[in-house]
Amino acid sequence: MYATIAELVSAAETADLSLSELMIQQEVANSGNSRDEVWAGMERNLEAMAAAVKRGSTGEGAFSKTGLTGGEAIKLKNYRATHQSLSGDTMLAAVQNAIATNEVNAAMGIVCATPTAGASGTLPGVLFMLEERLNLTHEQMIRFLFTSGALGMIIANNAMIAGATGGCQAEVGSASGMAAAAAVEIAGGTPEQSAEALAMALSNLLGLVCDPIAGLVELPCVKRNAIGATNALISADMALAGLTNKIPADEVVGAMKKIGEDMPQTLRETGRGGLAATPTGIKMKMRIFGQDRDFE
Amino acid sequence: MVLNYKSVFDIIGPVMIGPSSSHTAGAVAIGHAARKIFHAPATTLTVRYYESFAETHRGHGTDYALVAGVLGLPPADPQVPNALTLAQQQGLTVKFIEMAGPSPIGHPNTAIVTLSNEQRTIEVAGCSIGGGTIEIRRITVDGFELKPSGPLPILLVWGAKDNDQRIQTKLAKMTKIMRQQSYNTAAKHLVEFDLERSLQQHEVDSLQQGAAELVYL
Repeated sequence: MYATIAELVSAAETADLSLSELMIQQEVANSGNSRDEVWAGMERNLEAMAAAVKRGSTGEGAFSKTGLTGGEAIKLKNYRATHQSLSGDTMLAAVQNAIATNEVNAAMGIVCATPTAGASGTLPGVLFMLEERLNLTHEQMIRFLFTSGALGMIIANNAMIAGATGGCQAEVGSASGMAAAAAVEIAGGTPEQSAEALAMALSNLLGLVCDPIAGLVELPCVKRNAIGATNALISADMALAGLTNKIPADEVVGAMKKIGEDMPQTLRETGRGGLAATPTGIKMKMRIFGQDRDFE
Repeated sequence: MVLNYKSVFDIIGPVMIGPSSSHTAGAVAIGHAARKIFHAPATTLTVRYYESFAETHRGHGTDYALVAGVLGLPPADPQVPNALTLAQQQGLTVKFIEMAGPSPIGHPNTAIVTLSNEQRTIEVAGCSIGGGTIEIRRITVDGFELKPSGPLPILLVWGAKDNDQRIQTKLAKMTKIMRQQSYNTAAKHLVEFDLERSLQQHEVDSLQQGAAELVYL
């Protein structure tokens, strides 16, 4: 197991292997499963991700039971078809994929947690847009997920990936960093550039709180995945252009952990602070649950 | 660094029914752990929620997720959201209690699950640490109070004392034993092993031989 991102990058450089290849080899060694089994496991995850994007982007889209979220991926799809967008169609494709996935999640549909369900739109947002833009092969798409996983494991073991312990920076922030690193590898960048992309993506989202309306993974979670996906793409481009974060990736992960620990409980997935505590947020909670909860 | 996340599939995955990996998929996993330890049909299930779980379980489907786990459903089973109805049909009475104050096992996503029937009661204190991964930090079973270090996998073996060495030797060939603790009463002997990596089914089967009862979490 690689304890740090620096260790992972240096192992990749020494062995002249990609981050995805190191992850596959480590998984085979640690799980006792064959390479084919490990590969097939990731193929099943990719299928689930593709199915969620499709479901959220087809017909009317996906709607949650509460009525708080749904159908907005379709709005974006229609807008893209009829308008010259401000941020560019590629960017909006990523936004659409991300929102589609998280609308399916909010509708209690099937998603692949990457690394969490609340952040499940960020990786597919990036991946399925790049599939079209770069004509990715099936193998490249699987490798994207292994690279993301390699970096996600280091973040999860050194810091946290749950909103309840670290806020949304730990969920969408981590996912964004993972996706940025994987996007760099897929575009032909070096392992070092992957680490820089992660460092920049995560730095950009440090401090992001987890303040879900009524405690539901809907508002603002769905749209935060759009930001996670586009931030990943921008950070990957910056790294490929040779920009660096100056603060090393492992230290950014350390900062994220410390910020998470310092974050008040109201802003860590309790639904009691931030947007959840706005007058409209409270009104929505009352409408859905009728009353506030009682403690025993 | 605590190695809670041991596999790439802990991060990319699980494939699951939304909306929350820690409050839904993780809750299924805690329920599943309690089911395995109880090892028999239960008639009552009581869940005590703390902190984030207490505040948000209703919105996240944590209730049906926990019950789904106790009933043995996997996290992506389309029946997961119907688990409360299934429980009723199977004669399982469920109760959820929101507790004030901090989690007794020190994590904001804490559920303490009590399962019982006429013969037996067990209690499992689990926390959901993110991405569907859980820790089990306390188990009360057969009069023993176990305090595992938390991360899975955990192997519990009931049986004769002289079996311990045999299991330990076998296990050590498979993976590293991170912690080993034995518990005794006049009538029962139980050993807990906290392991470094997941075991495959055939490995669990081979350990099962000669053990009176074995639970692999």
